[in-house]
Amino acid sequence: MLRYIALRSFVALFLVWVVVTIVFLLLHLIPGDPAELLLSQGSIAADPQAVAALREKMGLNDPLWQQYLSHMAGVLSGDLGASFRDGAPVIDQIALRLPRTFEVIIGAALIATGLGVPLGTWAAIRADGKADAVISFFASAALSTPVFVVGSVVILIFAQELRWLPAGGFVAFSEDPVEHLKLLLLPAGTVGLNLLAVITRMSRASVLEVLQRDYVRTARAKGLPRGEILRRHVVRNALIPVVTVLGLEMGTLIGGTVLVEFVFNWPGLSGYLVSAVDARDYPEVVGIVMTISILFVFLNLVVDVVNALLDPRISLVTT
Amino acid sequence: MNAAARKLILPGTIATLIVVIVLAAPILPLADVREMDIPNRFAGPSAAHWLGQDEFGRDVLARLIWGGQASLFIAVGSALAAATIGTTLGLLGGYFRGAVELLTVRAAEIILCLPPLLLALLVVTILGAGTWPLILALTILYTPNYARVVYAATQQVRGLDFVTAQRAMGTHPLTILMRTILPNVMPPLLVQMSLIVASAMVIESGLSFLGLGVVPPTPSWGLMIRAARSAMEVSPLLLVWPSLALAGTILTFNLLCDRLQSALDPRSITAGGALWLRRRTRRAAPAPVPATDQPPLLEIKELSVAAQDLELVRRVSLTVRPGETLALVGESGSGKTLTGLAMTGLLPDTLHVTGGSALYTGRGGDRIDLAALDEDAIRRLRGNEISMVFQDAAAALNPVLRIGDQVAEAISAHQTLDGAALQNRVLELLRHVGIPDPERRARANPHELSGGQRQRAMIAVAIANNPRLLIADEPTTALDPTIQAQILQLFAQLKRDTPEMGMIFVTHDLAVVAEIADRVTVMYAGEVIEEGPVAEVFSCPRHPYTAALIASVPEGGAERLVAIPGTVPSPRNMPEGCRFAPRCAFVQATCRENVPPATRPSIDRITRCFRWEEVT
Repeated sequence: MLRYIALRSFVALFLVWVVVTIVFLLLHLIPGDPAELLLSQGSIAADPQAVAALREKMGLNDPLWQQYLSHMAGVLSGDLGASFRDGAPVIDQIALRLPRTFEVIIGAALIATGLGVPLGTWAAIRADGKADAVISFFASAALSTPVFVVGSVVILIFAQELRWLPAGGFVAFSEDPVEHLKLLLLPAGTVGLNLLAVITRMSRASVLEVLQRDYVRTARAKGLPRGEILRRHVVRNALIPVVTVLGLEMGTLIGGTVLVEFVFNWPGLSGYLVSAVDARDYPEVVGIVMTISILFVFLNLVVDVVNALLDPRISLVTT
Repeated sequence: MNAAARKLILPGTIATLIVVIVLAAPILPLADVREMDIPNRFAGPSAAHWLGQDEFGRDVLARLIWGGQASLFIAVGSALAAATIGTTLGLLGGYFRGAVELLTVRAAEIILCLPPLLLALLVVTILGAGTWPLILALTILYTPNYARVVYAATQQVRGLDFVTAQRAMGTHPLTILMRTILPNVMPPLLVQMSLIVASAMVIESGLSFLGLGVVPPTPSWGLMIRAARSAMEVSPLLLVWPSLALAGTILTFNLLCDRLQSALDPRSITAGGALWLRRRTRRAAPAPVPATDQPPLLEIKELSVAAQDLELVRRVSLTVRPGETLALVGESGSGKTLTGLAMTGLLPDTLHVTGGSALYTGRGGDRIDLAALDEDAIRRLRGNEISMVFQDAAAALNPVLRIGDQVAEAISAHQTLDGAALQNRVLELLRHVGIPDPERRARANPHELSGGQRQRAMIAVAIANNPRLLIADEPTTALDPTIQAQILQLFAQLKRDTPEMGMIFVTHDLAVVAEIADRVTVMYAGEVIEEGPVAEVFSCPRHPYTAALIASVPEGGAERLVAIPGTVPSPRNMPEGCRFAPRCAFVQATCRENVPPATRPSIDRITRCFRWEEVT
């Protein structure tokens, strides 16, 4: 088991290194001078002397390998550089905004698993029946509707027509916990709807497969009550792939809440990234992309380990 | 056309319709998408503008159709580009493996380390917004998906005989790849294609919505939704149209993908659901059966099992007395396992008991028809009075539950034992079935036990509540010969320890029958063709099939083995007369036309043969 975790961690570290390197190369090999870009205001060309001074300051005149080394050293020490726009350390902004993005993702995951596993199980038990047809259709529909469409329609219904919830914005939890949660509800629910569809479909497929297994027949042969067979033998085994998918989806969401944060004015990490992209603020873009990639890889690692804990056979296979 | 293909028609038609309308945009009589009409901004639907006018007074319908063209062009374009690149990488990686695989498939997979939307944003940062950067971003994004799918499919096809044969003949690898492997990996490729078109539309519209995709004034659904949001209070309908168009189109492609998948790969649809889990109307309690003086433990009369119109078990009758072991023998497909499952109510959902009865004498002396019981009633008997041991213990044990817990739940299903007493009973059972160091094994997961120990654990589960009838379905088939002998000894020991327990031993191994059974019932093609005491049947078979089976057993002194010519007939193609006639050495005209009745050569024997007197 420990060997398995060590091996997976090693692979994860390697992937992080690859991503950091690729992002560095991408941003340095593309045409365009960041210093010039930074100093130019609209169509007015920048003062060449100022550009040269800035290039020197930013280390852009050093050979590429030197820049790469200092970049890696910065990453290792947690220094992601300062923003072009306001000179503030990028890492501070990330630390401030990342928890807000996590809030949305975790809220969505809670909604999705809480409803998706029972719905998917129900659909599987009633496979090819009416309940299954209805659940499966709505899952497909929810999966097919992009989050910004859901978000916009949700605002139209709940904020504008019914006036139950605010349309968007952010209030710190420490200032007004109730308002904070109210504001969180719509973005988390919007992301949750999409995730719910994924979890429902996955649970359905997984339960259907487990139902055909011999050990379920054994459980029936023991004379166990239905509920107990369902809980201990069917759902427990069916959950293993569902947890995997949930983990992978949550990883994708770390960088994928862009649209939801935009729609609901939620000042999370992704919204920060969009504004950084808009402003061509390279240190910010690199810092955020790297943070997200590291978290993504790390989350995949956690998923693998949790999987190995849930399914005792896995550790046997690799060691 | 089968059901899966029929289900393709609806999404297929809608998808075609969407593509045709969008492609026909230049020739349709649509208003100019850029023509503004400020005085009539936010006007509702009218004869000239069917879906109304937007914030600049432009025609919404025209913008919707042209916007669809932009979205589809980007989505289909990038899906095709990614398909070409990804398929090439996947084919090369899957066919050559080794270093090529590392450079193609594994290299492409690095892209999967980045969240998709993030990657698209990164490309747009570098290249700026617009149609072509978007296509490039999406192409990069989806290449690994194709590479993976094609890689997996190529590896599968590569191992097939006809590819190996071509390689052996020295055909150029490129020819093999293009002519043989590519056509074979097309089905998963098609599925992937429709999935990616849908997914690409999601990302394209999302980026356009953020203002990082399609550049205005080119219409696009994402941009229309973006504009409509700020005008939501004035004209909510402006939001609804592009949302419906976008979600509807993506849904169509997703459904197409789902149905394509089930049409191309029928195996992906598992037999639906679980009837036993659904709440059903309670069946009327079966009519009481008059008690006789000394009823047998189990008396199956004329039991038939069918799948829809296909009869798999026909009018099987057999009897088990208390303390007796009955061997149920036959080749695979003879219906012996189905008979066992039918009497415990464990038949798969697609099979049903269509006639006959299985009268069981319970602990209280009451006789119950097992075939007529509902799920709840038979559940109280299962594992309690009647229990089963299955063939493949590795599959029959839950892989994620500890052995001790799996034994314990069998006990608690029918008895109320608390913590320590339950634990002691579990250990006692494990010890009883010969598992060494039961304290440790009880905490083990099934995969940590050897095959023989797993089967012992299964037996411990089966005898947990001192059953009166034990049905063992080929319990030694999956084991090594030496372990087989040990498990048989365990069954023999169980018989000695519980002399009143009846046992049905399902097997195809006659050597096992001789060792363990008192009586033997031989099944062929879903029918019982001979029954009698083991010693008598073996020394003097009364059916040509039994005789042939005995002759085919390798024995110490046997000079040569006699194989039975031909195979068991399929249920769809049952011979009209005697079902064994096509393979029988004693066959005559009457056998082919008439079904032989069950005949009694002596008081406790049955045969289903016209010429039984001539067999031995």
